[in-house]
Amino acid sequence: MSDRQLTRASLMRGGAALAAGGVALATWPLTTASAPSAKQDAEILRFALTVEDLQAAFYADAIKRAALKGELLEFAQTVGGHERAHAAHIRDLLGASAPKPRRFDFADTNADAKRFGATAIQIEEVGLAAYNGAATSLTSEALADASRIVSVEARHVSWIRDIVGETPAPRAADRPISAKEAQAALARTGFLR
Amino acid sequence: MERDLRLDDIDRDGAIADALGTMHGHTRADLLRGALVGGGALLAACAAPASASAASSRARDASILNFALTLEELQAAFYTEVERNRVLRGELKRQADTVGGHERAHVRAFRDVLGSKAIKRPHFDFGGATEGSDAFRRTAVAFEDLAVAAYKGQAPHIRSRAYLASALAIHSVEARHAAWIRRLAGKPPVAGPFDEPVSRPAATRIVARTHFVVRRTSRKGPRFTG
Repeated sequence: MSDRQLTRASLMRGGAALAAGGVALATWPLTTASAPSAKQDAEILRFALTVEDLQAAFYADAIKRAALKGELLEFAQTVGGHERAHAAHIRDLLGASAPKPRRFDFADTNADAKRFGATAIQIEEVGLAAYNGAATSLTSEALADASRIVSVEARHVSWIRDIVGETPAPRAADRPISAKEAQAALARTGFLR
Repeated sequence: MERDLRLDDIDRDGAIADALGTMHGHTRADLLRGALVGGGALLAACAAPASASAASSRARDASILNFALTLEELQAAFYTEVERNRVLRGELKRQADTVGGHERAHVRAFRDVLGSKAIKRPHFDFGGATEGSDAFRRTAVAFEDLAVAAYKGQAPHIRSRAYLASALAIHSVEARHAAWIRRLAGKPPVAGPFDEPVSRPAATRIVARTHFVVRRTSRKGPRFTG
Protein backbone atom coordinates (compact mmCIF):
# COMPACT_ATOMS: atom_id res chain seq x y z
CA MET A 1 0.00 0.00 0.00
CA SER A 2 2.62 2.55 -0.98
CA ASP A 3 -0.13 4.73 -2.46
CA ARG A 4 -1.73 4.92 0.89
CA GLN A 5 1.49 5.86 2.62
CA LEU A 6 2.21 8.61 0.13
CA THR A 7 -1.23 10.05 0.53
CA ARG A 8 -1.31 9.75 4.27
CA ALA A 9 2.17 11.27 4.50
CA SER A 10 1.04 14.33 2.60
CA LEU A 11 -2.01 14.63 4.81
CA MET A 12 -0.04 14.30 8.00
CA ARG A 13 2.53 16.94 7.11
CA GLY A 14 2.64 19.37 10.00
CA GLY A 15 0.30 17.21 12.01
CA ALA A 16 2.74 16.49 14.81
CA ALA A 17 3.46 20.16 15.35
CA LEU A 18 -0.23 20.92 15.55
CA ALA A 19 -0.97 18.14 17.97
CA ALA A 20 1.85 19.20 20.25
CA GLY A 21 1.69 22.96 20.03
CA GLY A 22 -1.83 23.91 19.18
CA VAL A 23 -3.30 25.61 16.18
CA ALA A 24 -1.73 28.64 14.58
CA LEU A 25 -4.94 30.27 13.47
CA ALA A 26 -3.85 33.29 11.54
CA THR A 27 -0.79 31.93 9.79
CA TRP A 28 -2.17 29.07 7.76
CA PRO A 29 -1.69 29.38 4.04
CA LEU A 30 -4.86 29.82 2.05
CA THR A 31 -5.33 27.00 -0.37
CA THR A 32 -6.83 29.00 -3.23
CA ALA A 33 -6.55 32.53 -4.48
CA SER A 34 -9.58 33.63 -6.47
CA ALA A 35 -12.61 35.40 -5.02
CA PRO A 36 -15.75 33.32 -4.50
CA SER A 37 -18.24 33.24 -7.38
CA ALA A 38 -21.07 31.04 -8.62
CA LYS A 39 -18.80 29.82 -11.42
CA GLN A 40 -16.12 28.80 -8.93
CA ASP A 41 -18.75 27.13 -6.72
CA ALA A 42 -19.73 24.96 -9.68
CA GLU A 43 -16.12 24.01 -10.39
CA ILE A 44 -15.59 22.97 -6.80
CA LEU A 45 -18.87 21.05 -6.72
CA ARG A 46 -17.93 19.16 -9.90
CA PHE A 47 -14.75 17.98 -8.22
CA ALA A 48 -16.65 17.16 -5.01
CA LEU A 49 -19.06 15.08 -7.09
CA THR A 50 -16.21 13.00 -8.48
CA VAL A 51 -15.03 12.30 -4.93
CA GLU A 52 -18.55 11.39 -3.75
CA ASP A 53 -19.10 9.14 -6.79
CA LEU A 54 -15.78 7.43 -6.14
CA GLN A 55 -16.61 6.86 -2.48
CA ALA A 56 -20.10 5.56 -3.26
CA ALA A 57 -18.71 3.17 -5.88
CA PHE A 58 -16.00 2.01 -3.50
CA TYR A 59 -18.46 1.03 -0.78
CA ALA A 60 -20.74 -0.71 -3.28
CA ASP A 61 -17.72 -2.68 -4.53
CA ALA A 62 -16.64 -3.49 -0.97
CA ILE A 63 -20.05 -4.83 0.00
CA LYS A 64 -19.88 -7.17 -3.02
CA ARG A 65 -16.27 -8.28 -2.75
CA ALA A 66 -14.62 -7.67 0.63
CA ALA A 67 -16.56 -10.26 2.66
CA LEU A 68 -17.28 -7.65 5.32
CA LYS A 69 -18.90 -8.66 8.57
CA GLY A 70 -20.15 -7.03 11.74
CA GLU A 71 -19.42 -3.36 12.25
CA LEU A 72 -17.28 -3.08 9.09
CA LEU A 73 -20.28 -4.20 7.03
CA GLU A 74 -22.54 -1.81 8.91
CA PHE A 75 -20.01 0.96 8.25
CA ALA A 76 -19.83 0.23 4.50
CA GLN A 77 -23.61 0.09 4.16
CA THR A 78 -24.29 3.22 6.20
CA VAL A 79 -21.50 5.31 4.74
CA GLY A 80 -22.19 4.08 1.21
CA GLY A 81 -25.75 5.36 1.62
CA HIS A 82 -24.47 8.74 2.79
CA GLU A 83 -22.09 9.09 -0.15
CA ARG A 84 -24.90 8.28 -2.59
CA ALA A 85 -27.06 10.93 -0.89
CA HIS A 86 -24.23 13.47 -1.16
CA ALA A 87 -23.69 12.69 -4.85
CA ALA A 88 -27.42 12.98 -5.58
CA HIS A 89 -27.58 16.31 -3.75
CA ILE A 90 -24.61 17.75 -5.64
CA ARG A 91 -26.02 16.48 -8.99
CA ASP A 92 -29.23 18.33 -8.17
CA LEU A 93 -27.32 21.53 -7.45
CA LEU A 94 -25.27 21.30 -10.65
CA GLY A 95 -28.17 20.34 -12.90
CA ALA A 96 -27.15 20.14 -16.54
CA SER A 97 -23.53 21.06 -15.75
CA ALA A 98 -23.02 17.92 -13.65
CA PRO A 99 -20.33 15.66 -15.13
CA LYS A 100 -21.26 12.15 -16.21
CA PRO A 101 -20.50 9.49 -13.60
CA ARG A 102 -16.92 8.26 -13.93
CA ARG A 103 -15.79 4.66 -14.10
CA PHE A 104 -13.67 3.34 -11.30
CA ASP A 105 -11.34 0.41 -10.81
CA PHE A 106 -10.58 -0.50 -7.22
CA ALA A 107 -8.16 -3.27 -8.17
CA ASP A 108 -7.48 -5.49 -5.16
CA THR A 109 -8.29 -2.92 -2.47
CA ASN A 110 -11.48 -4.79 -1.61
CA ALA A 111 -9.86 -8.22 -1.61
CA ASP A 112 -10.25 -8.47 2.16
CA ALA A 113 -11.50 -6.55 5.17
CA LYS A 114 -8.07 -5.27 6.16
CA ARG A 115 -7.35 -3.66 2.80
CA PHE A 116 -10.89 -2.32 2.72
CA GLY A 117 -10.35 -0.56 6.07
CA ALA A 118 -7.05 1.00 5.02
CA THR A 119 -8.47 2.23 1.72
CA ALA A 120 -11.63 3.58 3.34
CA ILE A 121 -9.48 5.67 5.69
CA GLN A 122 -7.48 6.93 2.73
CA ILE A 123 -10.42 8.03 0.60
CA GLU A 124 -12.30 9.55 3.54
CA GLU A 125 -9.23 11.51 4.68
CA VAL A 126 -8.58 12.82 1.16
CA GLY A 127 -12.25 13.73 0.70
CA LEU A 128 -12.38 15.58 4.00
CA ALA A 129 -9.12 17.46 3.44
CA ALA A 130 -10.23 18.42 -0.08
CA TYR A 131 -13.56 19.78 1.20
CA ASN A 132 -11.77 21.74 3.92
CA GLY A 133 -9.33 23.13 1.35
CA ALA A 134 -11.99 24.15 -1.15
CA ALA A 135 -14.53 25.48 1.34
CA THR A 136 -12.79 28.83 1.81
CA SER A 137 -13.25 29.49 -1.91
CA LEU A 138 -17.01 28.94 -1.89
CA THR A 139 -19.63 31.68 -1.67
CA SER A 140 -21.31 31.90 1.75
CA GLU A 141 -24.43 30.12 0.50
CA ALA A 142 -22.48 27.24 -1.05
CA LEU A 143 -20.32 27.01 2.06
CA ALA A 144 -23.35 26.77 4.32
CA ASP A 145 -24.61 23.88 2.22
CA ALA A 146 -21.29 22.07 1.76
CA SER A 147 -20.50 22.22 5.47
CA ARG A 148 -23.51 19.96 6.07
CA ILE A 149 -21.55 17.30 4.17
CA VAL A 150 -18.06 18.07 5.49
CA SER A 151 -18.69 17.11 9.11
CA VAL A 152 -20.37 13.90 7.97
CA GLU A 153 -17.20 13.00 6.07
CA ALA A 154 -15.24 13.75 9.25
CA ARG A 155 -17.52 11.44 11.23
CA HIS A 156 -16.99 8.71 8.61
CA VAL A 157 -13.22 8.88 8.88
CA SER A 158 -13.36 8.96 12.68
CA TRP A 159 -15.63 5.91 12.71
CA ILE A 160 -13.52 3.77 10.36
CA ARG A 161 -10.28 4.77 12.10
CA ASP A 162 -11.78 3.72 15.42
CA ILE A 163 -12.99 0.39 14.02
CA VAL A 164 -9.56 -0.53 12.69
CA GLY A 165 -7.77 0.64 15.85
CA GLU A 166 -6.35 3.98 14.74
CA THR A 167 -6.87 7.15 16.77
CA PRO A 168 -10.10 8.71 15.43
CA ALA A 169 -8.86 12.27 15.88
CA PRO A 170 -5.07 12.37 15.60
CA ARG A 171 -4.71 16.16 15.42
CA ALA A 172 -6.22 19.27 17.03
CA ALA A 173 -6.91 20.71 13.57
CA ASP A 174 -7.45 18.99 10.23
CA ARG A 175 -5.03 20.09 7.55
CA PRO A 176 -6.78 21.21 4.36
CA ILE A 177 -5.36 20.32 0.95
CA SER A 178 -5.66 22.26 -2.27
CA ALA A 179 -7.65 21.00 -5.25
CA LYS A 180 -4.34 20.26 -6.96
CA GLU A 181 -3.10 18.16 -4.03
CA ALA A 182 -6.45 16.37 -3.85
CA GLN A 183 -6.37 15.57 -7.56
CA ALA A 184 -2.84 14.27 -7.27
CA ALA A 185 -3.81 12.13 -4.28
CA LEU A 186 -6.76 10.67 -6.18
CA ALA A 187 -4.63 10.08 -9.27
CA ARG A 188 -2.11 8.15 -7.18
CA THR A 189 -4.79 5.73 -6.06
CA GLY A 190 -5.31 4.62 -9.67
CA PHE A 191 -9.07 4.30 -8.98
CA LEU A 192 -10.12 6.75 -11.68
CA ARG A 193 -10.45 5.18 -15.12
CA MET B 1 -27.32 15.33 40.46
CA GLU B 2 -26.85 15.25 36.71
CA ARG B 3 -27.53 18.07 34.33
CA ASP B 4 -28.14 16.43 31.05
CA LEU B 5 -27.60 18.40 27.89
CA ARG B 6 -29.55 17.09 24.95
CA LEU B 7 -29.31 18.15 21.37
CA ASP B 8 -33.01 17.37 20.94
CA ASP B 9 -33.42 20.61 22.82
CA ILE B 10 -32.13 22.53 19.85
CA ASP B 11 -34.36 25.45 19.35
CA ARG B 12 -37.07 25.14 16.67
CA ASP B 13 -39.18 27.27 19.02
CA GLY B 14 -38.29 30.94 18.96
CA ALA B 15 -34.78 31.73 20.07
CA ILE B 16 -33.43 34.34 22.39
CA ALA B 17 -32.48 37.61 20.78
CA ASP B 18 -29.34 37.66 18.67
CA ALA B 19 -27.83 40.20 21.02
CA LEU B 20 -27.28 37.45 23.56
CA GLY B 21 -24.13 36.48 21.77
CA THR B 22 -22.25 35.34 24.83
CA MET B 23 -22.93 33.08 27.74
CA HIS B 24 -20.14 34.60 29.76
CA GLY B 25 -21.36 35.78 33.12
CA HIS B 26 -25.00 34.97 32.47
CA THR B 27 -27.21 32.67 34.45
CA ARG B 28 -30.18 31.12 32.73
CA ALA B 29 -32.46 33.66 34.43
CA ASP B 30 -30.36 36.50 33.03
CA LEU B 31 -30.61 35.02 29.58
CA LEU B 32 -34.35 34.63 29.80
CA ARG B 33 -34.73 38.22 30.98
CA GLY B 34 -32.44 39.36 28.21
CA ALA B 35 -30.10 41.01 30.70
CA LEU B 36 -26.69 41.84 29.34
CA VAL B 37 -23.85 42.32 31.75
CA GLY B 38 -20.09 42.29 31.32
CA GLY B 39 -18.18 41.02 28.33
CA GLY B 40 -17.48 44.58 27.21
CA ALA B 41 -15.41 44.02 24.08
CA LEU B 42 -17.60 41.25 22.78
CA LEU B 43 -20.83 43.13 23.37
CA ALA B 44 -19.40 46.19 21.70
CA ALA B 45 -18.55 44.00 18.75
CA CYS B 46 -22.06 42.55 18.67
CA ALA B 47 -23.53 46.02 18.73
CA ALA B 48 -21.42 47.31 15.86
CA PRO B 49 -23.70 48.34 12.99
CA ALA B 50 -23.55 46.09 9.95
CA SER B 51 -21.51 47.71 7.21
CA ALA B 52 -19.12 46.70 4.50
CA SER B 53 -16.19 48.44 6.17
CA ALA B 54 -13.10 46.43 7.05
CA ALA B 55 -13.37 47.53 10.68
CA SER B 56 -16.89 46.15 10.88
CA SER B 57 -15.83 42.85 9.30
CA ARG B 58 -13.04 42.52 11.82
CA ALA B 59 -15.43 43.24 14.68
CA ARG B 60 -17.90 40.65 13.40
CA ASP B 61 -15.16 38.07 13.04
CA ALA B 62 -13.91 38.82 16.56
CA SER B 63 -17.41 38.35 17.88
CA ILE B 64 -17.70 34.98 16.15
CA LEU B 65 -14.26 33.87 17.34
CA ASN B 66 -15.21 34.84 20.90
CA PHE B 67 -18.35 32.76 20.60
CA ALA B 68 -16.22 29.81 19.42
CA LEU B 69 -13.76 30.49 22.24
CA THR B 70 -16.57 30.28 24.78
CA LEU B 71 -17.62 26.85 23.47
CA GLU B 72 -13.99 25.70 23.50
CA GLU B 73 -13.48 26.98 27.06
CA LEU B 74 -16.58 25.06 28.11
CA GLN B 75 -15.34 21.85 26.54
CA ALA B 76 -11.73 22.26 27.71
CA ALA B 77 -12.85 22.86 31.30
CA PHE B 78 -15.15 19.85 31.12
CA TYR B 79 -12.47 17.42 29.92
CA THR B 80 -9.84 18.86 32.26
CA GLU B 81 -12.16 18.44 35.23
CA VAL B 82 -13.08 14.85 34.34
CA GLU B 83 -9.39 14.08 33.95
CA ARG B 84 -8.67 15.48 37.42
CA ASN B 85 -11.58 13.56 38.94
CA ARG B 86 -10.01 10.31 37.68
CA VAL B 87 -13.34 8.61 37.07
CA LEU B 88 -12.66 7.28 33.56
CA ARG B 89 -10.88 4.10 32.51
CA GLY B 90 -9.70 2.45 29.31
CA GLU B 91 -10.93 3.70 25.96
CA LEU B 92 -13.12 6.37 27.53
CA LYS B 93 -10.13 7.80 29.38
CA ARG B 94 -8.08 7.77 26.19
CA GLN B 95 -10.86 9.64 24.41
CA ALA B 96 -11.17 12.25 27.18
CA ASP B 97 -7.40 12.81 27.43
CA THR B 98 -6.97 13.17 23.66
CA VAL B 99 -10.02 15.33 23.09
CA GLY B 100 -9.26 17.46 26.14
CA GLY B 101 -5.83 18.17 24.68
CA HIS B 102 -7.44 19.28 21.42
CA GLU B 103 -9.97 21.55 23.11
CA ARG B 104 -7.21 23.19 25.16
CA ALA B 105 -5.22 23.71 21.95
CA HIS B 106 -8.28 25.34 20.36
CA VAL B 107 -8.63 27.67 23.36
CA ARG B 108 -4.97 28.71 23.10
CA ALA B 109 -5.31 29.30 19.37
CA PHE B 110 -8.36 31.55 19.71
CA ARG B 111 -6.78 33.46 22.61
CA ASP B 112 -3.62 33.99 20.52
CA VAL B 113 -5.60 35.42 17.64
CA LEU B 114 -7.99 37.53 19.69
CA GLY B 115 -5.35 38.93 22.04
CA SER B 116 -6.89 41.67 24.17
CA LYS B 117 -10.24 41.25 22.40
CA ALA B 118 -10.69 37.78 23.90
CA ILE B 119 -13.48 37.33 26.46
CA LYS B 120 -12.55 36.67 30.05
CA ARG B 121 -12.47 33.00 30.94
CA PRO B 122 -15.93 31.97 32.16
CA HIS B 123 -16.50 30.02 35.38
CA PHE B 124 -18.04 26.58 35.17
CA ASP B 125 -19.86 24.20 37.46
CA PHE B 126 -20.49 20.85 35.79
CA GLY B 127 -22.40 19.37 38.69
CA GLY B 128 -22.30 15.60 38.44
CA ALA B 129 -21.42 15.52 34.76
CA THR B 130 -17.71 14.98 35.44
CA GLU B 131 -18.16 12.62 38.36
CA GLY B 132 -19.17 9.39 36.62
CA SER B 133 -18.61 7.72 33.27
CA ASP B 134 -22.29 7.58 32.23
CA ALA B 135 -22.88 11.26 32.90
CA PHE B 136 -19.57 12.08 31.22
CA ARG B 137 -20.47 10.13 28.08
CA ARG B 138 -23.90 11.72 27.73
CA THR B 139 -22.58 15.23 28.26
CA ALA B 140 -19.58 14.73 25.97
CA VAL B 141 -21.86 13.52 23.15
CA ALA B 142 -24.02 16.60 23.55
CA PHE B 143 -21.05 19.00 23.72
CA GLU B 144 -19.38 17.56 20.64
CA ASP B 145 -22.53 17.43 18.53
CA LEU B 146 -23.32 20.98 19.64
CA ALA B 147 -19.82 22.22 18.74
CA VAL B 148 -20.09 20.71 15.24
CA ALA B 149 -23.47 22.33 14.69
CA ALA B 150 -22.38 25.69 16.12
CA TYR B 151 -19.20 25.95 14.00
CA LYS B 152 -21.29 25.02 10.98
CA GLY B 153 -23.76 27.79 11.80
CA GLN B 154 -21.03 30.43 12.11
CA ALA B 155 -18.67 29.48 9.25
CA PRO B 156 -20.61 31.25 6.47
CA HIS B 157 -20.53 34.50 8.49
CA ILE B 158 -16.74 34.61 8.90
CA ARG B 159 -15.24 37.23 6.59
CA SER B 160 -11.50 36.57 6.97
CA ARG B 161 -10.54 33.59 4.84
CA ALA B 162 -7.64 32.76 7.15
CA TYR B 163 -10.00 32.56 10.13
CA LEU B 164 -12.50 30.61 8.06
CA ALA B 165 -9.85 28.06 7.07
CA SER B 166 -8.97 27.60 10.72
CA ALA B 167 -12.58 27.38 11.90
CA LEU B 168 -13.25 24.69 9.28
CA ALA B 169 -10.14 22.77 10.32
CA ILE B 170 -11.48 22.74 13.89
CA HIS B 171 -15.08 22.05 12.81
CA SER B 172 -14.10 18.72 11.26
CA VAL B 173 -12.04 17.76 14.31
CA GLU B 174 -15.10 18.39 16.49
CA ALA B 175 -16.99 16.06 14.14
CA ARG B 176 -14.31 13.39 14.63
CA HIS B 177 -14.68 13.84 18.39
CA ALA B 178 -18.45 13.56 18.12
CA ALA B 179 -18.34 10.32 16.13
CA TRP B 180 -15.74 8.88 18.52
CA ILE B 181 -17.69 9.54 21.71
CA ARG B 182 -21.01 8.55 20.10
CA ARG B 183 -19.53 5.15 19.26
CA LEU B 184 -18.30 4.78 22.84
CA ALA B 185 -21.77 5.73 24.04
CA GLY B 186 -23.38 3.04 21.87
CA LYS B 187 -24.94 5.56 19.49
CA PRO B 188 -24.54 5.62 15.69
CA PRO B 189 -21.38 7.70 15.03
CA VAL B 190 -23.10 9.32 12.05
CA ALA B 191 -26.81 9.95 12.42
CA GLY B 192 -27.51 10.73 8.75
CA PRO B 193 -26.05 11.95 5.46
CA PHE B 194 -26.27 15.65 6.40
CA ASP B 195 -25.36 17.44 9.64
CA GLU B 196 -27.49 20.52 10.25
CA PRO B 197 -26.20 23.81 11.72
CA VAL B 198 -27.41 25.45 14.89
CA SER B 199 -27.68 29.22 15.20
CA ARG B 200 -25.75 31.18 17.76
CA PRO B 201 -28.79 32.12 19.88
CA ALA B 202 -29.96 28.51 19.87
CA ALA B 203 -26.51 27.24 20.87
CA THR B 204 -26.34 29.87 23.61
CA ARG B 205 -29.74 28.81 24.89
CA ILE B 206 -28.77 25.12 24.97
CA VAL B 207 -25.68 25.91 27.01
CA ALA B 208 -27.62 28.23 29.31
CA ARG B 209 -30.12 25.47 30.01
CA THR B 210 -27.37 23.25 31.42
CA HIS B 211 -26.45 25.79 34.14
CA PHE B 212 -22.81 24.81 33.53
CA VAL B 213 -21.76 28.45 33.14
CA VAL B 214 -21.89 30.24 36.47
CA ARG B 215 -21.00 33.67 37.82
CA ARG B 216 -18.28 32.30 40.05
CA THR B 217 -16.87 29.00 41.14
CA SER B 218 -18.84 27.03 43.70
CA ARG B 219 -16.89 26.24 46.84
CA LYS B 220 -18.23 22.81 47.68
CA GLY B 221 -17.34 19.45 46.22
CA PRO B 222 -14.76 18.64 43.57
CA ARG B 223 -14.85 21.69 41.38
CA PHE B 224 -12.64 23.20 38.78
CA THR B 225 -12.37 26.81 37.68
CA GLY B 226 -12.11 26.79 33.90
